[in-house]
Amino acid sequence: MKLNRPTRNTQSETMIALIDVVFFLLVFFMLIGRMDATAPFEVSPPLASSGQDMPAGGATLAVAQDGSLAMDSVSIERSELEGLITGALAADRDLRLQINAHRDAELRHVLPLVGLAETLGVGDVVLVVTPETRQAGP
Amino acid sequence: MANELALRRARRTGPLISLVPMIDVMLILLVFFMVTSTYLNLDMIPAVKQQDRAGRQQNPNGETVLIRLAADGAPVLNGKPLAPEAFATLLRERVKANPLTQVLLLPSGAATTQSLISVMDIATRAGVERLQVIRLEARP
Repeated sequence: MKLNRPTRNTQSETMIALIDVVFFLLVFFMLIGRMDATAPFEVSPPLASSGQDMPAGGATLAVAQDGSLAMDSVSIERSELEGLITGALAADRDLRLQINAHRDAELRHVLPLVGLAETLGVGDVVLVVTPETRQAGP
Repeated sequence: MANELALRRARRTGPLISLVPMIDVMLILLVFFMVTSTYLNLDMIPAVKQQDRAGRQQNPNGETVLIRLAADGAPVLNGKPLAPEAFATLLRERVKANPLTQVLLLPSGAATTQSLISVMDIATRAGVERLQVIRLEARP
């Protein structure tokens, strides 16, 4: 008398667990990741401990250490900036301009941009900073 | 007897949907998001606010402190450069004496963005609520 061992169908169970894990990871990355334009040059925003949470959206003006500019990941010349801001304002009156300046960029490259945006009528200009974690004192 | 003659309709098996293509698509999407996502933790400091533009006013009830930001990033009060701790203490005392104290910050164009943000940070932590950065426009 020969007994046949019943075949165990374990493959489908493994697949379902795999699908669950992959699906969770996929949803996690889709929720956590934020699609933002990155500058074509290196920008390390200054460290600050008193910054506020930055909502998504708005136009980003990046300033490199040497003063080079990029608007929404496209390199631009200083002479093009006024037209670009005016155009962005025409499309969105409540435009928020985020100035993402390198921490070592000199203020003579950065502050005139704030003044220009204000002159052109941008009512919301913010400086992008990297949150600095500070240990609580005694 | 009747049971023996009954014909049973063959059970039709439902269409078999393979999960493998779905797993493939999900894995591709997962790898795409993992590779393309850049995780930046960024904050912001308002430079121009709508309400500020509408309601800019003098400071009739409070004291005004003018701080210069030197090219090396040091805050300067009355011509004397201050260490960060001394600067924080000074502001804390001024705010304690008069909560409406307004701080005007006049930065050098050669100072770095980090030095301006650091000084603004110190002022905010010291309790200054009225902080204004003065921008000197170039002469046409």
